[in-house]
Amino acid sequence: MIVLSINGQDSQVEVPEDMPLLWVLRDVIGLTGTKFGCGIAQCGACTVHLDGQPVRSCVLPVSGAINKKITTIEGIGATDIGKRMQQAWLGIEVAQCGYCQSGQIMSATALLAQTPQPTDTDIDRAMSGNLCRCGTYVRIRAAIKQAATGQITLPQTIA
Amino acid sequence: MKIGRLIGVLVILVLLGVLGFGAYALITVRNGGEDQALQPASAGAPASITDTLARGEYLARAADCAACHTVPGGQPYAGGVAFKLPMGTLYSSNITADKETGIGSWSDDDFVRALHAGVNKQGRPLYPAFPYTSYTALSREDILAIKAYLFSLPTVHAPARSNDLSFPYNHRWAISFWNALFLKKQRFVQDQGKSAAWNRGAYLATALGHCSECHTPRNRAFALKTDENLGGAELQGWMAYNITSDKDHGIGAWSDQELTDYLTKGHAAGRGTASGPMGEVIENSLQYLTSEDISALVAYLREVKPQQGGAAVPAMAAAAAPSGSANGTPGLGEQLFVGACAGCHLDNGQGRQTDYASLAGLRSVRDPHATNLTQVILHGSQLRVGAQHVFMPSFGRAYSDAEIAALSNYVVNHFGGQQGALSVDDVAKRR
Repeated sequence: MIVLSINGQDSQVEVPEDMPLLWVLRDVIGLTGTKFGCGIAQCGACTVHLDGQPVRSCVLPVSGAINKKITTIEGIGATDIGKRMQQAWLGIEVAQCGYCQSGQIMSATALLAQTPQPTDTDIDRAMSGNLCRCGTYVRIRAAIKQAATGQITLPQTIA
Repeated sequence: MKIGRLIGVLVILVLLGVLGFGAYALITVRNGGEDQALQPASAGAPASITDTLARGEYLARAADCAACHTVPGGQPYAGGVAFKLPMGTLYSSNITADKETGIGSWSDDDFVRALHAGVNKQGRPLYPAFPYTSYTALSREDILAIKAYLFSLPTVHAPARSNDLSFPYNHRWAISFWNALFLKKQRFVQDQGKSAAWNRGAYLATALGHCSECHTPRNRAFALKTDENLGGAELQGWMAYNITSDKDHGIGAWSDQELTDYLTKGHAAGRGTASGPMGEVIENSLQYLTSEDISALVAYLREVKPQQGGAAVPAMAAAAAPSGSANGTPGLGEQLFVGACAGCHLDNGQGRQTDYASLAGLRSVRDPHATNLTQVILHGSQLRVGAQHVFMPSFGRAYSDAEIAALSNYVVNHFGGQQGALSVDDVAKRR
């Protein structure tokens, strides 16, 4: 029996220690907001936070998440930065197909937590491991800046 | 006339010498050498393991038989692993107890002789890719425990693949001469002047673990240069690093904990991560050794005579972490790193979510030739230690030679503080 702290709540799961955290989140617990992309930590779609650090849950054995605070896209809105990021995401309507977006938001939120006013270079470096095959990178960058500064950069789709 | 006779006599003497040596080589090839009266008190397996099969399993792991006799993902010990050598390709043999294709019909004496003298059941020489040059030091008792373990496993019917060697290497009898020159058929003898731990470590590192077979440079006849023991050598495209006690070139500056971490987990922070053949050693062999045996290995390595071979890794520089972003327009190497590598390794090289992904200070990134680094980039890397499965995908197909050269040079410059000197051709040769 493994106890995981996910989005502030303890969950008990009966899984092998080497099962990737992503499988536990999606298939065992049912938190399907975190996506499976490549399965080899190359695309970033499965990004969640472990004690605030962005990690690729597809290659993280669940044993590595014991006694750590796991935050997923379902829980990120409960933090101030996460909430601002999601608002900016909606405002600019970053998503095209949307598949990579939960991972993008998790990486972007971790960036702002560490670097409240990121430069373009900071954004490039922090977000380089998150691929978006629709090519929404321009809007991702704008949304991160909007969340950081509160200043509107691109036309907004919601008030 | 006198000179003619003198030359004639000399020619005859040389011929007699050659004939004599040849006769000696051929007559002695099947001789395993005398068992010393004093067998090693420290038999290879810990005294706490008393069951013969369990001892045999421990010893087979310590001797890393599986590395050569088990194809990855294949039947254990069924052979067939290919060794690509300059003179052709060798295939390892089936050492399961199958009577037809394995060693099921071998007697105890046959098996002991194979390890002590390097000959098969029929008495024909085996190729020295089989490290009998090291196993010759094993005690009979340990060898028979390994045999008992092998014979307790499921048999596999797997005929040997015939070797594909060029002349004259396809003639096994010629190895008799090589053995006569380079094989010292001697059992391990304890050094009474050293600690019990050192002696145990020596037996593990030499007779069983055969570290020197990869880590010691070889001469033109492919024999180990014993005076440069563990001084580092290149083998099958990988660098087996200098692991002598030299502080700059070897592992003299590593702490006991770092050495222990590396030997048990395949990773020591800021020092090295095991990949390629060494990754296999960790995976098949070292991770199963007891902590006492790992300490014994560390005690032994501490006292290996320092050698200067290989790239220097000054202790001070190893601790220096690289600064974040370089100024100005990033070059091709940096662009590739940020795009393809930083996702896991992070742009500061500290590694995301696993220590195994940290790059800063590692030996592989401090080698200006980037030998092991390019192997890992081209072919990826994986390591199963305990419940952990650490891996890196291969990038060989994703990037051109020029891109991999630029990337390797960037990593060596940025994380290793060395001047990377890799050319496009170098990468092409390593594919």
